[in-house]
Amino acid sequence: MSRLEAKKPSVCKSEPLTNETVRATLSVLKGVLTSCYGPSGRLKQLHNGLGGYVCTTSQSSALLRNLSVTHPILKILTTSVQNHVSCFSDCGLFTAILCCNLIENVQKIDLTPTTVIKLNKHLLSLCTNYLKSEACGCRIPVDFSSSQILLCLVRSILTSKPACMLTRKEIDHISTLILRAFLLTIPENTDDSIILGKSIIVPLKGQRVTDSTVLPGVLIEMSEVQLKRMLPIKKASALKVALFCVSLSGDFADTGEGTVVVSYGMSLENAALDQLLNLGRQLISDHVDLVLCQKVIHPSLKQFLSTHHIIAIDRVGVALMEPLSKVTGSISPSSYGIVKELCSAKFGSKHFFHLIPDEATICSLLLSNRNDTAWDELKLTCQAALHILHLTIKEPWALLGGGCTETHLAAFIRYKARNEPESILTDDGCTQAELQLIAEAFCSALESLAGSLEHDGGEIVTDMKYGHLWSVQGDCPSVVNWPDLLSRCGCGLYSSQEELSWSFLRSTCHPFVPQTCLPHETVSPTSNLIVDCLTAKLSGLQVAVETANLILDLSYVIEDKN
Amino acid sequence: MACRAVNKRRHVGLQQLSSFAETGRTFLGPVKSSKFVTSEDCLESVLISSTVRLLESLDLSSTVGQLLKEAVQAQNNTYKTGSSTLLFLVGAWSSAAEECLHLGVPVSIIASVMSEGVGSCIEEVASLQVPVHSVFGHGDNTKTISGLETPRVGSCPFLQVPAGAGGIKEEHDFKDAASQSLTMYSPSRRPVKLPEFFNLPAKVKAGTEASQALRSSLHTDTCSRKSALILSRHFNQADDSLWISKPDGFLEQHSTATPETYRCRDLVELAVGLSHGDLSTMELVEAAARLQYQKACVRQGHCTVPFVFDVSRVFACCLPGVPETFSCVCSGYVTVVSTASITLIKELENQPVQVVLIEGDLTESYHHLGFNKSANIKTVLDSTELPRDSSEERWASRVLQVLTQFNVNLILVQGSVSESLTEKCVHSKRLVVGSVGSGVMQAFAEAAGAVPVTYITQVSAACVGSGVSVTAWRTPLEVRGGNDGMPVLVTVEGINLVTAVLTSSVTAQIHAKEDRFWTCAYRLHHALKEEKVLLGGGAVEFLCLSHLRILAEQSLRRGGHTCSGWLHNASSWLASSLPAYRPAVLERLAEGWRRYLSALMCNAATCSAELGAHTFIEHHVHNAAGSGSPSAYILNEYSKLNSGIFNAYIPGKLEQVPRVYDSVTPKIEAWRRALDLVLLVLKTDSEIITGLGHTQINSQELEGLLFL
Repeated sequence: MSRLEAKKPSVCKSEPLTNETVRATLSVLKGVLTSCYGPSGRLKQLHNGLGGYVCTTSQSSALLRNLSVTHPILKILTTSVQNHVSCFSDCGLFTAILCCNLIENVQKIDLTPTTVIKLNKHLLSLCTNYLKSEACGCRIPVDFSSSQILLCLVRSILTSKPACMLTRKEIDHISTLILRAFLLTIPENTDDSIILGKSIIVPLKGQRVTDSTVLPGVLIEMSEVQLKRMLPIKKASALKVALFCVSLSGDFADTGEGTVVVSYGMSLENAALDQLLNLGRQLISDHVDLVLCQKVIHPSLKQFLSTHHIIAIDRVGVALMEPLSKVTGSISPSSYGIVKELCSAKFGSKHFFHLIPDEATICSLLLSNRNDTAWDELKLTCQAALHILHLTIKEPWALLGGGCTETHLAAFIRYKARNEPESILTDDGCTQAELQLIAEAFCSALESLAGSLEHDGGEIVTDMKYGHLWSVQGDCPSVVNWPDLLSRCGCGLYSSQEELSWSFLRSTCHPFVPQTCLPHETVSPTSNLIVDCLTAKLSGLQVAVETANLILDLSYVIEDKN
Repeated sequence: MACRAVNKRRHVGLQQLSSFAETGRTFLGPVKSSKFVTSEDCLESVLISSTVRLLESLDLSSTVGQLLKEAVQAQNNTYKTGSSTLLFLVGAWSSAAEECLHLGVPVSIIASVMSEGVGSCIEEVASLQVPVHSVFGHGDNTKTISGLETPRVGSCPFLQVPAGAGGIKEEHDFKDAASQSLTMYSPSRRPVKLPEFFNLPAKVKAGTEASQALRSSLHTDTCSRKSALILSRHFNQADDSLWISKPDGFLEQHSTATPETYRCRDLVELAVGLSHGDLSTMELVEAAARLQYQKACVRQGHCTVPFVFDVSRVFACCLPGVPETFSCVCSGYVTVVSTASITLIKELENQPVQVVLIEGDLTESYHHLGFNKSANIKTVLDSTELPRDSSEERWASRVLQVLTQFNVNLILVQGSVSESLTEKCVHSKRLVVGSVGSGVMQAFAEAAGAVPVTYITQVSAACVGSGVSVTAWRTPLEVRGGNDGMPVLVTVEGINLVTAVLTSSVTAQIHAKEDRFWTCAYRLHHALKEEKVLLGGGAVEFLCLSHLRILAEQSLRRGGHTCSGWLHNASSWLASSLPAYRPAVLERLAEGWRRYLSALMCNAATCSAELGAHTFIEHHVHNAAGSGSPSAYILNEYSKLNSGIFNAYIPGKLEQVPRVYDSVTPKIEAWRRALDLVLLVLKTDSEIITGLGHTQINSQELEGLLFL
């Protein structure tokens, strides 16, 4: 019996942003994200409240994946940040916090959303044009002929994820590994187009971080007993490989709706096994040395192959299939592949078969960390770092990190808005006064984002020459000897002994043109810069402003209550 | 989704950690008090005597509890030892971190100074490492803890071990060891000329091994030692590193007691040192290691590579209800079979039998992993003739046919075995043993030349192993006669498998006994693998305590310029204000070590009260700091056997108290894990409960929750 129920009417709410609860939840979300930001960010324990796995993290990708927000406005925000993170792997918190800041700041200003959105767009294009231009004072070129900036880039990513629980030494070790893994994915001889390879992260949980390592080729995990049975591998020359992605377990394909009728005494299993053994004979006559199967190989077939000195490895798993076909050059099922060498390897308590290709862009990064939650965080971080390095190849620039880009950008916008407003305002009816208001909101959103790096009650000051960020103790006296109190700016490029003058953020100082640094001269080989990926940050900036615009533009939320 | 702050004024997470850790306090050290964990629901109780078992049976549903459980399990899975240390330090350091918070130290500074402090301790304790070299090769091989001779172990599998822990019979050995340890290079306080200095240790050290030890200590030394530290006392071959400049521009020479003169060359000494008071268990482990060593020697002719005690080739067979005196170690595989097979075993006893190894289950319905049985298959009868037997019977007769064909009398099965088949096999004089571990299977595969198969139908002549002997495992007094099965010994010539038969007349203790066995086995395994051990019995912890006190004092005196190298963000204001907070944090960290030591002493009953332990420790810390070099002080005190600080475990026999050792990496990793957990919780400011709506939380839990 079916029952008909009257449909509930849809609920329509106007001006969602003016709602007090929406504002409150938005500020809770902002609080959660802000407290995670940066190297000294606080961690969050994510769990389901029912005794499930506890994830300790401060990373936007892990955080947003597990947050289940209810309000549509929050959903817009989290979804667009997640989209950004899935494409660029970095600057997720930057995007989310900037977006929240922009919304919050604009709400205090009494302007129509249309004007705000228009001006925000102008300011965004001002920023992106500046960051992309040669004149940009907060970016440095990435030199691929030396490892220094690349290492800085990787190290900055690792340091900004405190839940990885790495010491300095461990950060250095992992950064080197990541860089090496990245270099192994670059083909040696290229034609016009480079196709980058892949680094496979192999878990090695429970070991010391410094036990992590990187190897060319593919590692297939197996039990010690299995491994011992296959060793020693006699063949010295290259091995011919057959790669299967179908199951060779000898079971029958799903019959679907229908039923198979078998007469008594017939054995389908034996029939299937006979077919498998035929396949085995074919492999033997083709002189295959190594059979790899994604799924299970029937034990009888395995036995048959091993009596003919063919190594059969099954249950390789779907994740390894693509790298395996790249390494061996085998396209299942049409052709056989080749692998240069096969050997065994032992790391910690785990045993592996190590497939060494002739030349291929696949490498395995064996990653270890002491506990599960820190391992998960480290894995995400390493993936992000490898991704960032790939992005950097396309756009070989890095932005100064540690909050310096944000304060520098804010100083630049302030100056432009005050001194050259006509270059920002084209001809769409916004007044200069409106521009001043929005520019101030925009700049203070950027600056308070930079200030979010501070979690222990410190304060942020900026210098009046480069517009970089400097951190200072919270309750310091107003008249101080700044050069002694400060050491280096956030990104580590400048030292306080360079005859600079400083001012607190949000204090009324007159705008100045932030000067362009000359990185080639200033970056000494020993300096430890904090740098961010330009591509990721640029996209983060765009996503943040556009999402804020979208949210500000919302006038109705219509909810289907059925 | 809800979000709760855990870090407002009082840090709930740290408080939880220290209260959880308090439960494991009595498991620290060699004298452990067992606990009963009772369940209120079903009135069941479990006897617990290890940290791992304790945490297994506690209901730690909070996030912090779960992280703690995870950390202890990870430590246990990787090293099988060090869990109690981990648990205690988690407690001690989480209270240390909490005190620092009360003092107003910023979280980032607490985290960086604590990890700096523990890192520095880890570097420091390298000076208390004792090299372990060729413990098997030295002297006569016949010494064992219990004084039994090895040939007896080899020929007779029923090694009898006297009960109790009073097994040290070879007194002269220990005197040797002690006198050896006393030939320490005497401390030289005044600066001597460099060449002379180099000559001296060469006299003390013997040949190449010493230089190897030297290299290993050099390695730890070169890692990241700052020249500002004045505590280094390792020998270095680089000229300038011998002279460490003090801040006042004085060159001080550090050449006091060297750990290289301490060397562990004797398996008995090593085993006793690693037993941590549990001599009876260690005897078994030691005998197992010796058996394995002998087999390795036979296999390889002479052992050129350093022998590693392979724990995967050790099997423990628990026999509850048998008096403790029957615990022993034998070569081969001991397991319990049903009493129905008694006569069968008697018949098999005097002949070599053929064996088949089955990797899966031995049942009719078994299919290998990954085989999906299709549901939509219908079998129809073509003729009117009904099959006479059920499919199960037909399968069983097929199995028996195969076994008869290849003349197999023993079937070792990794999975379960069909009961009716077992019965049928007994009738046809074949023994089936189920639930055999993979290590055991592999050992038989190697020694008997069998190839493990998944299905019995795969068996061919090449798969069958031969030369296996099956005998009843009889205790000399025939104490066993119950209905719950009888133990048999299955072995084959040259098998690389040792079974430790663990017996206990108290059934409740058998699991604890097994746990202890594995703990000892892994301790010995790590020591032999790493070829070094730490001086145990609180020596390393004492060194850490003194070292941190000195560090704290130095940074208090020097103030301004200390390294901020451990702070990730060196440009932050935290880096410049770190020196101000550093002494306080280091002091709290050191307090954690002090609590560890005093818990150790209280548990071991060397001090009846916390206060006594406190005074005692402080006295020695003062002396150590006064001596200028804490590690030299410790080495000195250590050799004065009756001084009582580091070797208070075996009361009554002061003149032959052996040294206590500890495995290196497991211990140090336990420290790091403990610190990681504390810092992880310290840095956490809120917990986020996913997937919860307003309605799903009852009102009393609502407090402090924010909803998204």
